[in-house]
Amino acid sequence: MLFLAAEPSAALTPTIDQAVLWAIMGCPLAAWGLIALYLRKLPAIAGYAAILGIGAAMLLSYVTLFNVIDASGGVAQYTREWFTAGDLTVPIGVRVDGLTAVMLVVVTTVAFLVQVYSTGYMQGDPGYGRYFAHMCLFTTSMLGLVLADNLFQMFIFWELVGLCSYLLIGFWFHKPSAAAAAKKAFIVTRIGDLGLLAALLLVWTRAGTFDVTAIQEWAASGEAKSALVTLFALGLFAGAAGKSAQFPLHVWLPDAMEGPTPVSALIHAATMVAAGVYLVARFFPVFEASPDAADVVAWVGAITAILAATMALVQTDLKRVLAYSTVSQLGYMMLSLGALGYVAAIFHLFTHAFFKALLFLGSGSVNHATNTFDMQKMGGLRKHMPVTYWTFVIGSLSLAGIFPLAGFWSKDEILLDAWRHDRALWAIGAVVAFMTAFYMFRAIFLTFHGTYRGGEPVDHHDPDNHFHGDPAHPHESPWAMKAPLLALAIPSIAAGWFAYDHMFKDFIEAALPHEGHHGSSFEIGIAVSSTIIALAGIGTAYVIYIRRWVDSSSIRATFAPFALVFERKYFLDDLYEGLFVRNIFYRGWCRLLETVDRRIVDGVVNGIGQVGRAASSRLRAVQVGEVQSYGLGVAAGVIIIFLAVIVANPL
Amino acid sequence: MNGIDVLGPQISVLVAAGVVLVADALFPGQRRLLPFLALAGLLTAALWTTSWVGRGDYQTVFDGTIVLDRYAVFFQYVFAGVTATVILASIDWVNREGRRQSEYYALVLTVCAGLMLLAGARDLITIFIALELSSIPQYILAGWGKDAKSSEAGLKYLLLGAVASSLLLYGMALLYGVTGTTILPEIAAAIEAGGESYRALLVVAMTLLIAGFGFKMAVVPFQMWVPDVYQGAPTPVAAFLSVGSKAAAFAVAIRVFFEALGADFLSSDWSMIFAVIAAVSMTLGNLMAIVQSDIKRMLGYSSVAQAGNFLVGLAAISVAGEEFILGASGILLFVAAYAFTNLGAFVAVIAISQRINSDRIADYAGMWKTSPFLALGLAFCLVSLTGIPPTVGFWAKLYVFNAAVRADLVWLVVIGVLNSVVSAYYYLGVVRVMFLGEPGTEQRFRASPSIAVALTATAAGVLLFGILPMPLMSAARDAVEVLAR
Repeated sequence: MLFLAAEPSAALTPTIDQAVLWAIMGCPLAAWGLIALYLRKLPAIAGYAAILGIGAAMLLSYVTLFNVIDASGGVAQYTREWFTAGDLTVPIGVRVDGLTAVMLVVVTTVAFLVQVYSTGYMQGDPGYGRYFAHMCLFTTSMLGLVLADNLFQMFIFWELVGLCSYLLIGFWFHKPSAAAAAKKAFIVTRIGDLGLLAALLLVWTRAGTFDVTAIQEWAASGEAKSALVTLFALGLFAGAAGKSAQFPLHVWLPDAMEGPTPVSALIHAATMVAAGVYLVARFFPVFEASPDAADVVAWVGAITAILAATMALVQTDLKRVLAYSTVSQLGYMMLSLGALGYVAAIFHLFTHAFFKALLFLGSGSVNHATNTFDMQKMGGLRKHMPVTYWTFVIGSLSLAGIFPLAGFWSKDEILLDAWRHDRALWAIGAVVAFMTAFYMFRAIFLTFHGTYRGGEPVDHHDPDNHFHGDPAHPHESPWAMKAPLLALAIPSIAAGWFAYDHMFKDFIEAALPHEGHHGSSFEIGIAVSSTIIALAGIGTAYVIYIRRWVDSSSIRATFAPFALVFERKYFLDDLYEGLFVRNIFYRGWCRLLETVDRRIVDGVVNGIGQVGRAASSRLRAVQVGEVQSYGLGVAAGVIIIFLAVIVANPL
Repeated sequence: MNGIDVLGPQISVLVAAGVVLVADALFPGQRRLLPFLALAGLLTAALWTTSWVGRGDYQTVFDGTIVLDRYAVFFQYVFAGVTATVILASIDWVNREGRRQSEYYALVLTVCAGLMLLAGARDLITIFIALELSSIPQYILAGWGKDAKSSEAGLKYLLLGAVASSLLLYGMALLYGVTGTTILPEIAAAIEAGGESYRALLVVAMTLLIAGFGFKMAVVPFQMWVPDVYQGAPTPVAAFLSVGSKAAAFAVAIRVFFEALGADFLSSDWSMIFAVIAAVSMTLGNLMAIVQSDIKRMLGYSSVAQAGNFLVGLAAISVAGEEFILGASGILLFVAAYAFTNLGAFVAVIAISQRINSDRIADYAGMWKTSPFLALGLAFCLVSLTGIPPTVGFWAKLYVFNAAVRADLVWLVVIGVLNSVVSAYYYLGVVRVMFLGEPGTEQRFRASPSIAVALTATAAGVLLFGILPMPLMSAARDAVEVLAR
């Protein structure tokens, strides 16, 4: 067993035993094994096994966090050789530092609360046991990704995370839309994964190591050509853009809302989508070493943030508002990383995980009462579901960036970094902040204020419908669902206070190999301006949806072309699926090849055979004919190869 | 001992074939035991091979025409394992078919003997004889089924195989004409000594050899027979063809192209040819696999695409030294990985198709509910074929692609990686149908014991070597180091 000393910049090394770190991964894994093998048919216990396994991981994560805090965020790494074959040495190990510890706490805390909530939300679903098994496996993969000390291991868990999310999004697989969404998510994120795989091969052949620290130093040392570092950085970012739903790979996330709502809260708010941001942050020195790559990250983030925010403005489905909001906020984090605001990005990831999980769970609670996510069928729920309402308001205020809630602090840091890096990025950030405040409060006013519009009647003939209760008379959710909402409200309010006295900054920065300015803390001008922007957004929503000074439909009519573009998601889905996949790729290309293969090569003779020969003679004719044409193909192949060689390399 | 014991494994397999035939004639009531006799023959062969590995006793015999080295040993293990799995997977089908059982097993064993001979052949004539020894029984086996489709497949395979053999033979004849020898290292020496002036003839010979081997590898443009034959032939035979003869073609191609045609002025050509064929095979194979609705045709096109992946390694071996070792050991790793994975997939398909009496992918709907074991096994193998960790298929792809990057074939790797995304579409499409579809009947069914053993063994290999690829990688490396001089 090899014990690697910490970085020179970190004064102290955490003393945490590596057994604890492995156990963080092991607990949910054990729960998964238990559920998958024995408890699938015992739903009563399956939920508790998941809660227990993930709860244990959560406790250990807090132990780890405090240990790392004691060491002022130093790095501890435990590596051993997994195997060697030739010049390929693959290590296996765990690494813990400030960044890891924060991610561990975020992942396990949200996962734990989501499990508790799920025992209420998924009650009575026939796939109850399977659901918790998938959740545990997902949590394991996510923790493995966070704890990995080398890119290789990260890649493996990265793929596992993708596979698990495929299973979870497609959980209600009998719904065709869910199955399609799962496939879309998998394929689209895999396109990004190609970049990650390319980066992996590149760093293997050029740097000869997978180790995180070694790669960070390889990039920062200037040994490698800058073009190479840029290529590597862009490969990493392609992977990150897939998982974190960055433009133009963001299209899968809104569709992924077909999964159960707690799944969205866990993987589409707090964990999997944060993995991309985490990856970029983990290799932050690489992006520092390549200003070009950093600019790409910043601008892709900015474009994502504003595109998604505009699309969130026009959604009528509560969950989709949150989905686009998540895409937008992830864009914010990427923007921050690209503007070299490492601390601000992680800080926003940290606070966002809590309030976005809260909002998703809140939307699930609303759905539990009304049997729908369509805001046009809601309204007036404030009276019926006070806990859901107030926690939802807290989450929204935090997301909008209102002092002194969590989102205020982290969003401010991002805007400040953007201001210092490039004013154009700041301007986009400010516009997005306005839109964020607007669409969240539009959602609140439509959902919770006014008069109740009746929900979605329960279709008792639908065998897939497991809705209990009466949507005409909405009721507050059970305690299993309320308690996690209340628990998440606390960090949604207070998580930002860790910014006090550079606490969070110092803690997170120690994870980087080199000292340096990686983020700014506070500036009154930015704080005041962004607060005014957020309040303006809320006020606009208020006058439109409560006071009704302006009719919302007339606004839509005025800006009809824009609204259409937003509603149709900038036509990207049509472009991807309609044009690329269906028409060009599938119908055009594949069918053409199929036709060439079947029709032209052997179909001619087939066709003659079908016309009028008796079965036996037909068989002979078909065989001989096809074989002749196949033989012709072989001969043609030989001649083509020979000619190609002669042409390319004359005698 | 003039080296006859070097052929011990091949001979014991052939003896087993004879014993199977005689036993059937003597004890017609004990047909159930025939496959176990065949397996015993294979076990003897494997043990015989192991005894050399234990003694480290490697040698060249019969005037340099047959060589016994780690390379040959690696492939002998692969072929013995593949044949054993195919026999296990055939038992149900053969019992159901009911006729000529002993002949079936005897022919399968004969193929195996031919493949094993090929692994150690280092002389053009021996290579050709070994290739024919393995091919002719395969033609018969492809036409073994009772229906017209199977006869069609057998005849097609025979006629096209004859074309390919003749091309190969022309190539060999030309090579002999230029160099005056049939032994691979001597050919290399003769070319070194002044073959450059005969470049045109050598290029023709090389092209013909590529066509001949390409037919067995099933790469574009010599792949046309694949979907028809896979679809028509009995499924266990299709499994055998997809793994056995493909692996053998690569085994012998590495030897021929590296040992005999390794001269720079030739290797730059064939390396580029293989690279282009690899790119085209992967792309065409994958794209055509997407539109298939029959699982055997789909697996047929997928095997074309997978052969493209093997070829990526072959394109990377043109330079002696570390690149050669990486590329060649990558192919060997891929051969072993593919053997486990594709056989596993076929075994599951055999069991499922027999049960539901259909090869249509749509009819696999809900298999997870009616037969979770088979569905899980098949899904796992398909994930490995896609190349997703933690399966052995992932390592194989990674290793081969790495070799290509080292050999400055980055463009090829880009195409390969893009193709693996495309392949995810249809491989996982089957998984989706099995897990997310609604079954036609709720009636559950179990796999027979022989199928269960075969599927468990292959899937365990996929997983085990997926988590701990080290033993397989070092075996592959050791095997090719003997060729690297």
